[in-house]
Amino acid sequence: MNVIVSNILAIYRRELQSYFVSPLAYVVAGIFWLLSGLFFVLILLGPEGVLAQVAALDVQGQQVGVPLPPIDVPYEFLRAFLDRLGWLLLFLLPILSMGLYAEERKRGTLELLATSPLTNWSVAVGKLLGVLTFFTTMVAPLLVYEAIALGASSPPFPPTIPLLGHLGLILLAAAILSLGMFISSLTDSTILSAVLSFALILCLLLVDLIAKSIPGPVGEALGHLSLLKHYTNLVQGILDTSGLILFASYIVLGIFLTAQSIDALRFGRS
Amino acid sequence: MIEVEHLSKIYGSTSAITDVTFSVEPGEILGFLGPNGAGKTTTMRILAGYLPATSGTARIAGYDVHENSLAVRERIGYLPETPPLYPEMTVEGFLHFVTRIKGVPAGDRTQKVNAAIERCNLEEKRRVLIRKLSKGYKQRVGIAQAIVHDPPAIILDEPTVGLDPKQIIDVRNLIKSLAGTHTIILSTHILPEVSMTCSRVAIINRGKVVTTNTPDNLITELVGEQGYELEIEGDAEVAINLLTTNPEVRLVESIPSERISTQTNLNPNHCWLRVVSASQTELGKDIAAMLVNAGIGLHEMRRLGATLEDVFLQLTTEEKSLAADETDSQVPIDTVPETAPEVPIDTVPETAPEASTEGDAA
Repeated sequence: MNVIVSNILAIYRRELQSYFVSPLAYVVAGIFWLLSGLFFVLILLGPEGVLAQVAALDVQGQQVGVPLPPIDVPYEFLRAFLDRLGWLLLFLLPILSMGLYAEERKRGTLELLATSPLTNWSVAVGKLLGVLTFFTTMVAPLLVYEAIALGASSPPFPPTIPLLGHLGLILLAAAILSLGMFISSLTDSTILSAVLSFALILCLLLVDLIAKSIPGPVGEALGHLSLLKHYTNLVQGILDTSGLILFASYIVLGIFLTAQSIDALRFGRS
Repeated sequence: MIEVEHLSKIYGSTSAITDVTFSVEPGEILGFLGPNGAGKTTTMRILAGYLPATSGTARIAGYDVHENSLAVRERIGYLPETPPLYPEMTVEGFLHFVTRIKGVPAGDRTQKVNAAIERCNLEEKRRVLIRKLSKGYKQRVGIAQAIVHDPPAIILDEPTVGLDPKQIIDVRNLIKSLAGTHTIILSTHILPEVSMTCSRVAIINRGKVVTTNTPDNLITELVGEQGYELEIEGDAEVAINLLTTNPEVRLVESIPSERISTQTNLNPNHCWLRVVSASQTELGKDIAAMLVNAGIGLHEMRRLGATLEDVFLQLTTEEKSLAADETDSQVPIDTVPETAPEVPIDTVPETAPEASTEGDAA
């Protein structure tokens, strides 16, 4: 058991280290911070932003003479913001996951890992934890300005909802990265891996819409596979076991498929 | 220590290796010699547990490489064809990572990394990013990662590729210094390497082990002939016709001047002949007498020792012509050895190491 943990840790540390010296990772983080900051400002303060809308509604209500029901501004803001972030991940996460195995295959370091006393899945777990940690450090600065904005709300905003929302964000990212890791293990071209991951994730995000057009139990079953639906639930503060299980299933599935695909690569090599 | 029995590997419909059998005793260095594409890398990969064999068994330290893959992987160091390196890591950091994944206890890691760095002469590069190293240094880091955890069995796939001549000598000495305490199997297509470092040689060609023996035995057993190089003054045709009359002489040919081993001060009036005897009889005396009696001036006469290269070419090209014979070959087997270049072993150009000196001078 100790051996397995120390193996996972070794892979994890190497993976994480490689992100912090990789220019690509910094570019991805930079774009993420830029766009998320832009969303933040636009959603909160922009001309179409939450504050402006609430103010407009307020004015409207006063003109009509009937006071409209109060709007939970921090909640509306957080929901809109995290929703945009979810879409942003669709574009950025394939770039983080594309090199996980494709690079190892291209450089021949997979041969080192495969001839070391490591199991395939401990490599996969270590790698996934590494990239997830990098993603978490990418998200961390957002918490600071969210805290500033939400701290100004009166009455005080309960911390459970942002907590669940960000948990959802991390789980969504973990599920996407896990599947991206599997795709990365299929090819030694990082570009191909990114494009394929993007397509797969787009399908999984949109499976909700596809499901709605299919009537009957098939459509319903498909609808449950949607990542976005369960993410939205968490963002709205609904802690739903089926959602957590779905995310966990995607993560485990990704790791399992990765380990299988590396085995298949070695055993069926021609 | 390493036992390979009837190992075969088939990719789709082509067979990479067929019925490969050999064994390596503890502390021995086995050279795995063969032309490119002979199946060396496939065999190495199977031994390292990277590829499964189609049939046959391979055992390292008593563990089957497929059944007990993890136990085997703990006991081997493996340098693949291309050294497996992470360019963004420093030499030291990378070797630390390797000790971790090889399961070296935490307390021993620093000491083992330092020992490997010292052994591979990497001290001045220990904090340099691998990306910035020259090819020769990268190759040495590759060797360092194979020996850093002090495995009982070491598998090296072409360890001297890309090194300059001085580095090649260093690496050979390093490999020799590992013998005794480690069992080593190394593949190469460079012949001098084998005769210099290995205690035994397995020659592989077209997926089959042609022979296994010590380098010296291979030369004496497989080349049952004596050759001479003559420098004469006079008509080459006459000399050739004359020497051919001796029943002990199997072949006389003139050597074009660009292929003469002593390249300095060639006299334009002289010509050079190569004489090969049919058996191990010493012909020197007879040849000299015949030439002098016929009034031909004999300026130099040297015995040509057979080299491992001759053996190698004989074994591997014989295979080829045997295969060709089955269809429509005009190449009789007994003329094959003559295609071997008679370059003595110490002058063999070692398949031009790529220029890799830019960073090494530092």
